[in-house]
Amino acid sequence: MQTVAIKPKNGIKISAEAENISPDKFAGKSEKDIQSLEAWMGNQKTTLGELFTIKAEGTGAVADVKVVMEGDFSRVKRIGEGMTAGLVMIKGNVDMHLGAKMSGGKISVSGNVDSWAGREMKGGELIIEGNAGYYLGAGYRGETCGMRGGKITVLGSALDFLGEHMCGGEIIVKGNAGILAGLSNNGGKIVIEGSTSRPGSEMAKGTIIVGKVDEMMPVFKLEGTEAVDGVSYRKYTGDVIVNGKGVLYVKE
Amino acid sequence: MELLIKNGAVFDPANGIAGDKTDISIKDGKIVDKVSSGAIVIDAGGRLVMPGGVDAHSHIAGAKVNVGRIMRPEDTRAGIKPRTKITRPYTGYTVPNVYAMGYRYAQMGYTTVFEAAQAIMKARHTHEELEEIPIIDKGALTLFGSNWPTMDYVREKNMDKLAAYVAWGLLASRGFGIKVVNPGGGEMWGFGKNVTGLDDVVPNFEVTPRDIIVSLMKVNEMLGLPHSVHLHCNNLGKPGNYKTTLASMELAKQVKPSKDRQVLHVTHVTFNCWGGTNWGDFESKADEIANYLNNSENVTTDMGQLIFGSATTMTADGPVQYANAKLLHAKWANGDVELEDASGVVPIFYVKQVSIHAIMWAMGLELALLTKDPYKVLLTTDHPNGGPFVNYPEVIALLMSNKKRQEEIKTLHEAVHKRTKIPGIERELGFNDIAIMTRAGSAKVLGLLDTKGHLGVGADADVSIYDIKPDQTDPSAEHAKIKSAFQSAAYTIKGGNVVVKDGQITATPMGRTFWVDASVPDEQKEIMMKDIRMKFKNYYSINLANYMVQDAYLTHPYVVRAGVIPVEVS
Amino acid sequence: MSNVITDALCPFCGCMCDDITVVVENNKIIEAKHACKIGAAKIMGHHRIKAPMMRKDKNADFKEVSYDEAINEAARMLANSKRPLMYGWASVLCEVHKKGILLAEELGAIIDNTATVCHGPSTLAVHEKGLPTSTLGQIKNRADVVVFWGSNPVHAHPRHMGRYSVFAKGFFSEKGRRGRKIIVVDVRKTETAGMADEYIQVQQGSDYLVISALRAILAGQAAVVPDTVGGVPKEQLVKLVDTLKAARFGAIFFGMGLTQSMSRYKNIDNAISLTTELNSFGKHVIMPMRGHYNVTGFGQVCAWETGYATAVDFARGAPYYNPGETAANDVLTRKETDAAMIIAGDAGAHFPANSVRHLAKIPVVQIDPYWNPTTEVANVVIPVAICGVEVEGTAYRMDGVSLRYRKMIEPTHPTDLEILEKITKRVIEIRGE
Repeated sequence: MQTVAIKPKNGIKISAEAENISPDKFAGKSEKDIQSLEAWMGNQKTTLGELFTIKAEGTGAVADVKVVMEGDFSRVKRIGEGMTAGLVMIKGNVDMHLGAKMSGGKISVSGNVDSWAGREMKGGELIIEGNAGYYLGAGYRGETCGMRGGKITVLGSALDFLGEHMCGGEIIVKGNAGILAGLSNNGGKIVIEGSTSRPGSEMAKGTIIVGKVDEMMPVFKLEGTEAVDGVSYRKYTGDVIVNGKGVLYVKE
Repeated sequence: MELLIKNGAVFDPANGIAGDKTDISIKDGKIVDKVSSGAIVIDAGGRLVMPGGVDAHSHIAGAKVNVGRIMRPEDTRAGIKPRTKITRPYTGYTVPNVYAMGYRYAQMGYTTVFEAAQAIMKARHTHEELEEIPIIDKGALTLFGSNWPTMDYVREKNMDKLAAYVAWGLLASRGFGIKVVNPGGGEMWGFGKNVTGLDDVVPNFEVTPRDIIVSLMKVNEMLGLPHSVHLHCNNLGKPGNYKTTLASMELAKQVKPSKDRQVLHVTHVTFNCWGGTNWGDFESKADEIANYLNNSENVTTDMGQLIFGSATTMTADGPVQYANAKLLHAKWANGDVELEDASGVVPIFYVKQVSIHAIMWAMGLELALLTKDPYKVLLTTDHPNGGPFVNYPEVIALLMSNKKRQEEIKTLHEAVHKRTKIPGIERELGFNDIAIMTRAGSAKVLGLLDTKGHLGVGADADVSIYDIKPDQTDPSAEHAKIKSAFQSAAYTIKGGNVVVKDGQITATPMGRTFWVDASVPDEQKEIMMKDIRMKFKNYYSINLANYMVQDAYLTHPYVVRAGVIPVEVS
Repeated sequence: MSNVITDALCPFCGCMCDDITVVVENNKIIEAKHACKIGAAKIMGHHRIKAPMMRKDKNADFKEVSYDEAINEAARMLANSKRPLMYGWASVLCEVHKKGILLAEELGAIIDNTATVCHGPSTLAVHEKGLPTSTLGQIKNRADVVVFWGSNPVHAHPRHMGRYSVFAKGFFSEKGRRGRKIIVVDVRKTETAGMADEYIQVQQGSDYLVISALRAILAGQAAVVPDTVGGVPKEQLVKLVDTLKAARFGAIFFGMGLTQSMSRYKNIDNAISLTTELNSFGKHVIMPMRGHYNVTGFGQVCAWETGYATAVDFARGAPYYNPGETAANDVLTRKETDAAMIIAGDAGAHFPANSVRHLAKIPVVQIDPYWNPTTEVANVVIPVAICGVEVEGTAYRMDGVSLRYRKMIEPTHPTDLEILEKITKRVIEIRGE
């Protein structure tokens, strides 16, 4: 078991890029080695140790690394990027690209996360107790696939373009989502317990389950009603434009 | 500055040198007889030395390349390298930025590269990018196959006017030669249609692709242009198109070359040697093309080798790109140019287990291995259509090692066994063959063998040294070593400057841009210009006065003179 | 001394009219024939900033300084910055863009252009769907159906209709306006709508839904489309699809009504798909109505130099691109920017209040021939020659055709190019590289 505790040193105004905060990068490294890992703040190259107070105990394989972060990380980007295993627990808010491209392990956040959390995620789990920004579980500009696997849970709400280009995996939002959730969904499962608007545009595959839709896309075929886990939903299929086989459930 | 390369195992096919230990002397950017004792000495230590690589067909600059970049940020991020004290940042894989274009070619030992297509109206853009590509010498071929003046003069059978138009178009675009893409099809794509063979009539212009190809070959030889007509055949991308390709090659018999080179270069044969009638019975007919080449003397080709993974298709063949986009459900850019031609850009991902892709992979190799004379098949990937040029070392290794091919075949869709001949081909090319396909042959096809593609006295001092000792290496068994050596030149010398050492860029001098100034009698030009002025008055959306590429866009020009009037080289 | 320059190019909008005749007397332009009113005004020029100016306190008045002083101070501000922003680039030539990108690399800056507040969303859509388009001459010679969607050329691109899209006559369109069906889709009845054959009124923010409905109808799925979409009756949508399907050559020109309304770039994304799908019936192209004459050029230069069209972040030495994160307003509203250079673009006038408030708090260098709202938040102001009038060079028309601007008169100020070169040199000295 290896535990790494991270706290921000000073108020960070210019976003830091800290893709080295990851169990994969920490595993088997000493406290000093972790502190000297590269980080960037604006155009200044720096180290994790310069930006954060870091305490490390024990050593272990990636899966045995636990990163405990406490404080305001709302200007720290790319935490847990590409991680394959281990645990990152964050008490506080975080900036963009949390857990981007992660393929395993678990990240939990007690606060809010900014845009592109879980971007191009392949596996593992992301739990966000607060709200998420834009493009949750979406792709990078121009890519055909966003999230491909894993699970994202948001206890609060999320903004626009949630799960864009999803090719797999699951996103659950307890609150509301912004416009065009599940845009170009190509095989992912999205559950929005609250409301959203214009969900499922251009979806070819996958499932979207929504509590309430403010504005429906005019491209879905109503197939009747269906019960999911004992709750009655209107079932739609589409997007008819792309001859889509996606299913959209909207609570009765 | 003087430079002496000693102890190299030199492959210089144009001068009949095949692996001999020969010293190469360089002075003031040229290969010379000998240098003084003060010359800087590079000890090649028995390693492979070749002329700098020459690429006669690659999409490195211009409107469609930039469209590829703009529509593919996901590609740009795939090849990022930060700036250094010497180099600007590298970006992209299939659509690199201008800097990566020059650096990566140089790092592979290439020193001369030709952009394969520019519309005259967008040539200014091509040159803006060429100006920013570091190190390499370059040039661009100009599209003439669907231009309204071309078709008018072909219909009128007025070869004098057509020659005058081509000469003027080369000047207007600062182009190097005549490129013809899906002749007639570019015009028809203006209304979403296409030609389906050599004898379809283009509406309103009443000409056929056959007429266009033959006429342009005629004026190409009338003008004595260094390069021949460079043809992207009709029906590209359609099963069964090898027949159109063979029929197009036959047309070369109608014209006599004005120089010691082909009269027709048929490009990226991987895309035009398709048998079958649909995607179900799709098969390779590369052997038929090779057979034709083995029995004729006036046609050359290049491979357009397919590389598995990401590619970006880009061509003036607009209709094939729309078909591709629909087939692949991919994003599609189209960029038709008024009165001139079409264009399209579509990303693709070639997959080993997709039968069509596996068969296409075999086609380029079959062509190169079944054609006896390597001067007739240049090594290209039709960058980035078959795949990015950085994969040339992979292609070299495949050509030199049957073992590598057999290993690769095991990973491919089984169709490669039934629908291609590649599994049974045992031929392995040698360093001399490779030097022809990537140097001497490309220079000869381009008509630049006087200064490019060889290491004789008077040639440009473009030299590459690779970290491989030919006499101690078995390319068949050690194909991985071959590939890595060609990926990263031990030295690349461009115009006498060491630009790469141990695979790293050491200097970034500006290369030159080659273009052809072909003269025609003034009165012939004046008659032609009357028509051009009418075209601008009535149809073009810009004024004639703003059409031609200005001198400002060629800061390092290299002018090759040609024309119906012999002109003294100044 | 009177001098007449023919075939001159207009440095106003993305039409880049190249048929202007300019009359010059004593290095003063006295007439710009053929140009539209706005273009002529632009060519003739107006009050210029006379000399470089500086101030420490943004509430204080400017003091005139020498060019060297202003350049030194600008270089110092930028070289000391950890998150510099270089924004603008609309009304300058491509040669200036190249120097700007080099300086951005040198500084580790974010470089972004005015597209971010107009057609930037179009680029995001191109990433998703590509762009089936053509040169404007294709439309002039061939188009029989032209749609203006959220664009109003009568106002913003006065000669567009005459030269390229509505009245223009060509090889296959010898009847000009009579041979063309003009359709306007907009939230309000614009002047362009007034002269169209058909006007379709869309409810504010509903363009995305309307385009999807058109695509569904085109795909033979009219049955799922509700009776009214975005305020447009279904019959009208069906009729529009029929018109588009019957077109031999259709062109859609979209403007900021589409890029800056709800769903933003997704509207364009959707419209591009509609255009692509229409190509199964006839020939169809789509084109953004670019505003500033060379806003397209910045995208071109930036793409070939960096691989990305705009909003490039050089902080880590290699280009990084992600609008929403790296565009000017993204870093300004997050208050990350700690110094800014605004060149040939007016952030002060066009940015959201939050961004302008932040600009008012940080060191700002302005490079521009003219006093504008950005001047109000600047510390250093460096006046320059006017590109396209006093400086020759390259620009890209809205359809991607590049043309070379002529020099009409001798400049009275140094060029952007000279200023950027000097700042870059000074930055390198300061950084001791």
